[in-house]
Amino acid sequence: MIDAIENSAYAVWVRESPSIWAYTWILSLHAMGLAIIVGINVIVALRLLGYVPEIPVAKLRKLFPWMYLGFTVNAASGLSLLAANLTNDLHNWMFFVKLSMILCAMVNLELTKMKVFDHPAVVNGTGVPPGTTKFAVLSITFWTIAIIAGRLTEYPSFVQAWFGF
Amino acid sequence: MMDAITRFMLSTGIDNFVATQDWVWPVCEILHFFGMALLIGSVGLVDLRMLGIAKGVPIKALERFIPLGVIGFFINATTGFIFVAGNPVGGPQEYLTNLAFQIKMVLILIAGLNLLAFYVTGIARQADAITPEGIAPMSAKVVAALSLLLWFGVIFFGRFIMYNDTLLYALGL
Repeated sequence: MIDAIENSAYAVWVRESPSIWAYTWILSLHAMGLAIIVGINVIVALRLLGYVPEIPVAKLRKLFPWMYLGFTVNAASGLSLLAANLTNDLHNWMFFVKLSMILCAMVNLELTKMKVFDHPAVVNGTGVPPGTTKFAVLSITFWTIAIIAGRLTEYPSFVQAWFGF
Repeated sequence: MMDAITRFMLSTGIDNFVATQDWVWPVCEILHFFGMALLIGSVGLVDLRMLGIAKGVPIKALERFIPLGVIGFFINATTGFIFVAGNPVGGPQEYLTNLAFQIKMVLILIAGLNLLAFYVTGIARQADAITPEGIAPMSAKVVAALSLLLWFGVIFFGRFIMYNDTLLYALGL
């Protein structure tokens, strides 16, 4: 199964094609998507923490489609990179830390939408509900660890030396 | 000039630091990605708003996040300097002669000039003056579109530094 995916025509193309639209472009897309989703999340989180109160929180809801765009780009590019590198990634525990953090961050984002953005106080522009801080802090925390783990996925020997496994 | 830059970079001893401390490179990589997200998150959002997305968010208020992008930029300038000066394979020359790196640096320079133009030509003042639901002037939209294009170009060519061969291949060089 793993071999079949890794040796599929698509995975081989991603990994071995000398075209700029193969591995390198997909890697670029993955960085761009990260910048979009994490960048917007951080700004929204900072607003929820009380920075720049002149920005009406309700209006930031319009940024959700852009966060989903960043996520979709990275899910697609990430799956492509995973297919090309499946065996290595599946043996890399840091990769699973990254995936769990992204899962937590996305669940947190949906909860933020339901509990904060759908709350009457936000909709009516009278403030934010209690507990808003928690979602904002968790957002920054999950994305921070996701980036750290994502980068460390590329340095298994360093991880081995420092963590012992 | 390239020799002078190389000599200066090697005189900092950063190459030795990177070679003897295995954590320096991965930690700088992590910081470089944080810096990128801060820069795109803050500057990119102002750009999107000027292009008409998320109306209702006042441009002037959104601009208060730009210092965060400036912090991101300096994190990346510093970690970027460490990558070039401390490159364990081939030294600074390897970067300085790398086409993807050269294009990335030129794009950063143009993006900086674009931001400077935004503030010194009065376009920023015009954009700030519109109502929260208002439409930014065409000049601001041009600056915003250029900014997004340039910064995403920086990411694009940044990723190509390690795969410069595919870029040269695509260009027939």
